[in-house]
Order: sequence, then structure tokens, then C-alpha cells
Amino acid sequence: MTDSEIRELCNRFFDAYQDRRVDELAKIYAPDCVVWHNVFNREMSGADNLAALPKSYAGQRRRTYNDRTINTFAGGFVIQYTLHGVQHSGHRGALWICIVGLCKDGKITRIDEYMDSSKFAAWAGVEGRRAKAALSEAASGGSRAQRAEGERS
Amino acid sequence: MRKDWETLQLCDRFFDAIEQKDFSTVEKCYAPELVMWHSHDCLYQSRESNLKTLRDGMTRMKKMRYKNRRIHVFEGGFAQQHTLFVTHENGFEGQMDVCFIGYTRDGMISRGYEYFDTGQIEKFLGPRPTGPRPG
Repeated sequence: MTDSEIRELCNRFFDAYQDRRVDELAKIYAPDCVVWHNVFNREMSGADNLAALPKSYAGQRRRTYNDRTINTFAGGFVIQYTLHGVQHSGHRGALWICIVGLCKDGKITRIDEYMDSSKFAAWAGVEGRRAKAALSEAASGGSRAQRAEGERS
Repeated sequence: MRKDWETLQLCDRFFDAIEQKDFSTVEKCYAPELVMWHSHDCLYQSRESNLKTLRDGMTRMKKMRYKNRRIHVFEGGFAQQHTLFVTHENGFEGQMDVCFIGYTRDGMISRGYEYFDTGQIEKFLGPRPTGPRPG
């Protein structure tokens, strides 16, 4: 893939995430796509990530992926961005996130996501123990296992 | 024209120097205008302040190792994903997953961004002492 094709794919991915287009995301993820989050230090399949999205999206009124700084390299991209969210309560929060994405044949094959979970409470407008669970849904469409782990912590 | 190997060398030189406590080389990797941003406070740290932080860490830690390095070079910089392992004075071995993004100029790092999770800081610093706290 050329640099511009990778950049376009990256923007398509974030536009689809923002617009809650799970159908579009399914086209963007390669069948064997893997998603890793630093917060949980665990890999999940792209299919599991997508399956969790509808419930995840229900957590906020709106999410926007702003301040995107995209750099492309051979076989992938690194993007730095600010995730702005509006909760149903009207609370507004932001998270600063970096993702390294690997691409092949027009699809994303791997996503590594880095964020700071100490900011989850401020993002979600909730206190301590609920924050991690809230964010696992909000930012990445966490799996059931991840949400359960967040609730326990 | 992109010279990926030069950027790769810079990236390795920088992290190797921290591991080897070679402060002089670390300093040389930084351009005079360097600023370093961290995801925990979203602030830009000055070159002088960041070098002091690094020097303190390199002096205090028994050992620092950047393992599982995955480097991606792009036009004007690089991203390195790694797990930082540190051995503290008390013997505790901490670790943290980090993504470091470096923007380069003339063979030096001119701007850096470090993303990591301080929500897991105990994995890095060790368990906090229990019992009554002063004040």
C-alpha cells in the first residue's frame, strides 16, 4: 500500500468509528485483525471488538476523534489524537490516545492502542471503580471480559 | 529523501544510551529546541527539565531495559513501541508498556511524545506502602 492509501485507510477507520458505522469498520478490519490495548495488556480479535461496539456506543451521546496527527510508514500508520466525548449526562471529557496500526491489502491487520486509564474517571464523569469499565466500553469497544475486569478493580 | 537507517540508528542510540547510563550520548540525541510531551499530564517538558528527569532515573534505577522494541520510521521521525523494565533500588522490578513518538531534525530528536498508562503505575513503581500516611 502507498503512503496515501494507508493515510486514507486510517482516516476511513476513524471516521467510521466516530460515525458509529460498524458495517464500515467490518470492511476495514482484516479477517484476522487483532486489537491490543495497553490498559488491559490483552489482545482481542477484530470480530470481538466490533461485536462490543453497539453497546459501547450507547455509553455516550457523542464521540469525536480530533486533532489527528497521522504519520505513515511501510505497512502501517501511527496516529495521535484527542478523543472528545459527551456523556448522556452532558459531561464532556477528553482522552489523549496514540494508535499504531498495521495494514495489508487495504485493510487493518493489527491495532495497538495506548492511553492513560488514570484519566478514565474525568472522561466518563464517574468516580473511581466505574471509570475503567466505562472507558473500556467508551474508547475501544471492550470485550465482556475487559468490562468485568474493570468493574472488579 | 528519507534515510530510514539514520533514523533507526538515532532511535537505537537513544534508548541504548539510557540503558547503558550513557548520559552524554542521551544529551547529544536531543536537539537544542527539544520538547517532550507525556500523556499523563499532557504538558510539554523542556529539554533541560526532561534531561534532569532522565538523569535522575538513570542514576536512581539499578537497571533500565527497553525490551520488545518495535520501531516504525516515517517521514521526519519514528515511533517505537516497547516495554520498559526497571529494577528499583529496593530490588522491585517494574514494567510499563510505552509508545514513544519522536520527531527528528538533522539527526536529533526535536520533539517527543510518550504514551503510557499511569493507571497501572504500581506495576512500574511497586506497591505503595500501607499504613497511616503522614499529614
